[in-house]
Amino acid sequence: MRTVQHGRRRMKQKPMADTLIHTHLAVIGSGMAGMAAAIFARNRGMATVQVGRASEISFASGCLDLFSTVPGHPPRIFADPFEGIAALVRIRPEHPYTHVTEDQIRQGFGEFTRFMASAGICFHGPAPGTNQKIITPAGTLKPTWQVPGAMIAGTRAVAANQRIGLVDIQGLKGFGARQMAQTLKAKLPGITAATIAFPGRETAGNLMCERLAWDLESQAVMDRFIQRLRPHAAPVEVLGLPSVLSLYRFEAQRQTLEQALDRPVFEIPTLSPSVTGMRMKEAFLEKPGGSGHHHFPVAVSRIIRDRDGFGFFVTVGQETVEVRAQYLILATGRFLGQGLGVKAERITEMLFNLPVTQPHDRSGWLCRDFFDPAGHPVNRAGIETDEFFRPLDADGSLYDPRLYAAGSILAHQDWKREKSGSGIAIASAFRAVSHMASDMTLPDSDPPDGKAFP
Amino acid sequence: METQVLIIGGGTTGTGIARDLALRGISCILIDRRDINAGASGANHGLLHSGARYILKDSETAKECRQESELLKRLAPQCIEDTGGLFVATSKDDDDYIARFPGLCRDHEIACMPVDPARALALEPCLTPDLKAVFEVPDAVVDPFRLSLDNAADAQQRGISIFRNTEVTGFICRQGNIQAARVRDTRNGKTWRIEACQYVNATGAWADKVAAMAGVYISMLYSKGSLLVTQSRINHQVINRLRPASDADILVPGGTVSIIGTTSVEIDSLEDIRPTMAEVSAIIREGSVMVPELADTRYIRAYAGVRPLVKNDRDEGRAVSRNYTLKNHESDGLKNFVTITGGKLTTYRLMAEKTADIVARRLNNHRPCRTADLSLPSSGKGAWTGPGKSLRSRTAGSQPTRLPSGETLICECEMVSESMVDHIVTSLKAEGRPPALEEIGHRSRIGKGPCQGTFCSFRLAGYLYRTGDLSGDQGLFQIREFVNERWKGLMPLVRDRELVRMELQESFLCGLFNMDAGV
Repeated sequence: MRTVQHGRRRMKQKPMADTLIHTHLAVIGSGMAGMAAAIFARNRGMATVQVGRASEISFASGCLDLFSTVPGHPPRIFADPFEGIAALVRIRPEHPYTHVTEDQIRQGFGEFTRFMASAGICFHGPAPGTNQKIITPAGTLKPTWQVPGAMIAGTRAVAANQRIGLVDIQGLKGFGARQMAQTLKAKLPGITAATIAFPGRETAGNLMCERLAWDLESQAVMDRFIQRLRPHAAPVEVLGLPSVLSLYRFEAQRQTLEQALDRPVFEIPTLSPSVTGMRMKEAFLEKPGGSGHHHFPVAVSRIIRDRDGFGFFVTVGQETVEVRAQYLILATGRFLGQGLGVKAERITEMLFNLPVTQPHDRSGWLCRDFFDPAGHPVNRAGIETDEFFRPLDADGSLYDPRLYAAGSILAHQDWKREKSGSGIAIASAFRAVSHMASDMTLPDSDPPDGKAFP
Repeated sequence: METQVLIIGGGTTGTGIARDLALRGISCILIDRRDINAGASGANHGLLHSGARYILKDSETAKECRQESELLKRLAPQCIEDTGGLFVATSKDDDDYIARFPGLCRDHEIACMPVDPARALALEPCLTPDLKAVFEVPDAVVDPFRLSLDNAADAQQRGISIFRNTEVTGFICRQGNIQAARVRDTRNGKTWRIEACQYVNATGAWADKVAAMAGVYISMLYSKGSLLVTQSRINHQVINRLRPASDADILVPGGTVSIIGTTSVEIDSLEDIRPTMAEVSAIIREGSVMVPELADTRYIRAYAGVRPLVKNDRDEGRAVSRNYTLKNHESDGLKNFVTITGGKLTTYRLMAEKTADIVARRLNNHRPCRTADLSLPSSGKGAWTGPGKSLRSRTAGSQPTRLPSGETLICECEMVSESMVDHIVTSLKAEGRPPALEEIGHRSRIGKGPCQGTFCSFRLAGYLYRTGDLSGDQGLFQIREFVNERWKGLMPLVRDRELVRMELQESFLCGLFNMDAGV
């Protein structure tokens, strides 16, 4: 029997793991913040174990937002994200962006996008001092900072007010070319819409993007797809499609299409599950991590804390793995990611029961207008940290100097309204992992080499 | 515009009066500021009371409910689901009241049978096992939309004109008579006059305001009642808590949902009537004592209606009579104005009869009331039409069990297909109404499933763009309206799981689509 300490209570635990992994860092969560933290840790030579279902990333647009809007009455929209952040932190000095400099944000994004480029997804940044715009399926333009290669032609066409042709697919719901073109025509007078039937799925009524992306891995399907697009490409300068151009070979397939149609082609992110989000997740997971990097696509419900660090069990198939980590980064997200939950009408943090800053009671959670430009107060609930993103206890002291947090679980931000989701995730993960690396001392004996051993 | 009678208010009472007068051969115009059943007539339980609920405190109402419910079951069966009802007492409930209940029912001639608690549990497995006593009574469920639409349709058949979105802005009075009503189309602001011999004020909670325009003072109390609609139907019969009338003690099934309520909260203003989070918590807490699964079931909407209670000096809240108030205003010096307000959905016909009696007598029309012996013809309209707050599934039954291949589902949560939307769009156009998202939402279960309209509102807009029913950026405005209309009913319900759904919805609508930035 081994005795471990859980909080201040001592309890006994049966050894039950088939495998024990010692690691520098445990990353809890597989969304944008968890992914960024794992990348930054790898780059610093830290052994990592990452856990989490990575479900939310399937909703991602594929773009990397930094900042656009200070919520309020009226909301203040900034063309330059850094100018916006400067204004934001003056009004909201508790916002996570207060703890990072522009330089740190740029370094973090640089590391993240270089990694993604090496995994096959190239991001395009804007001209200095501005955001870029993408066309959304609602026919709106959304400000973002870094646009992937799959979408950049659309962004450029919007900026240059080119003649854009949008094409939708019969039976593919939630993506209406006519809807988008009609909604955008006041801003982009040259925009037009067309519909094609998808090769081999002409009569299907409920198509899914993921399915079509698989179909388009086939050259035969691709050839017929090109034939059907050809008449709609002729009158326009740029062609926009739902994001269905393959899950893995998307760069090559788009280039094929662009050459065949002799004009730029771009994809538009679709409603869940989005191929653009899945590509990012696949790129991250497929990239060889080397020994010392483990990813378990499961959730962890209980973490033990003791003198040496953190410990938890993950069960994958028949095998149970015990993980022992010196540091831990909490990137579990909010309600959707189950980083936060509700117990007896109070918002709680689900793994360590960290104190959560929140409205006084439930009646203060929400605005009566869903689109209230100030944002719903419940969305700014979250956990408090020090400047290195280490969570604070109720008395304002560090909860545990080896525990960090990153991403949307942090208090005082409203990423959906600020358009700051990826930015907060990347910046906070960068700051946390950088600090951890400088703080880290490797004991001479028993190096956590990350190798799994029984 | 001239007519014999102008009826103001298109709730169950107003439409009932229109039909009653039409049957006596009297011509009328009915106007409503918004729509048929837009007020309390559309925001209630949809319960056809046997009368048992009122036997202790309101003997008159109990008797009227007993008579009227029997009559309506016979004359308007298309509007009624004769479910039967149970009164159930938990171990917390008062023994004295339980003991008196069967006798009080007998005194009011309400059929009341004791049911063994074990058998009650077998009939309604959702009930708490902690049952002390159960009685069966002839409660039933009534669709208030169908009822009003059938009354309105029969009245129209007999020559009555109905104007929706038309409000009274004032009366022109001379020598103890109203000469004309000034009215306004709320959509385009157009104003005109309606000259009638008699004016009927059937405006429910707004009765005092309309009466004030005629210079008459009515002292009213507004009692807000909030109700919650569950995701699926959890009971077969009406379930009442066997105790003196209190909050959240009636669970009414209807179509594919159940409705739990109500509360009784005195309010000062009729602007923006919504349930509060505190009411929702109280309803769930109280309701789950009787039906435990109400504590963790998913709710699709909370809504509130206002009971118009005419004040006597000593009454307050629930103690105020639920009985109706009929004022002939003769003591107020007006000879051609009558106000009918208060009362129950169950007694609407009786209220209409009594009102029509006064009006007919004043017009020297001595034909008897026919609504107590003539069946209410089914217009078939209630199946699809009827905007409002009650979520009786209007698509149940008309929904194909198997979709034709190639048929695209617009709402996956509630299985609403493109062809069903086509059907609704056609019927809206036939009524001269725009095929807007919100109108389609009122006539189907689109937006009422777990996605809260996140996906289906977009798909529906996309489809309407394809059919040419939407153009420009109309769709964006309509999606915002649709989401906010759903939000009105959802916001008070947000407790835990709803936060997850809300986060998903906001991630799309604001995070990705940037719809919070305006258009």
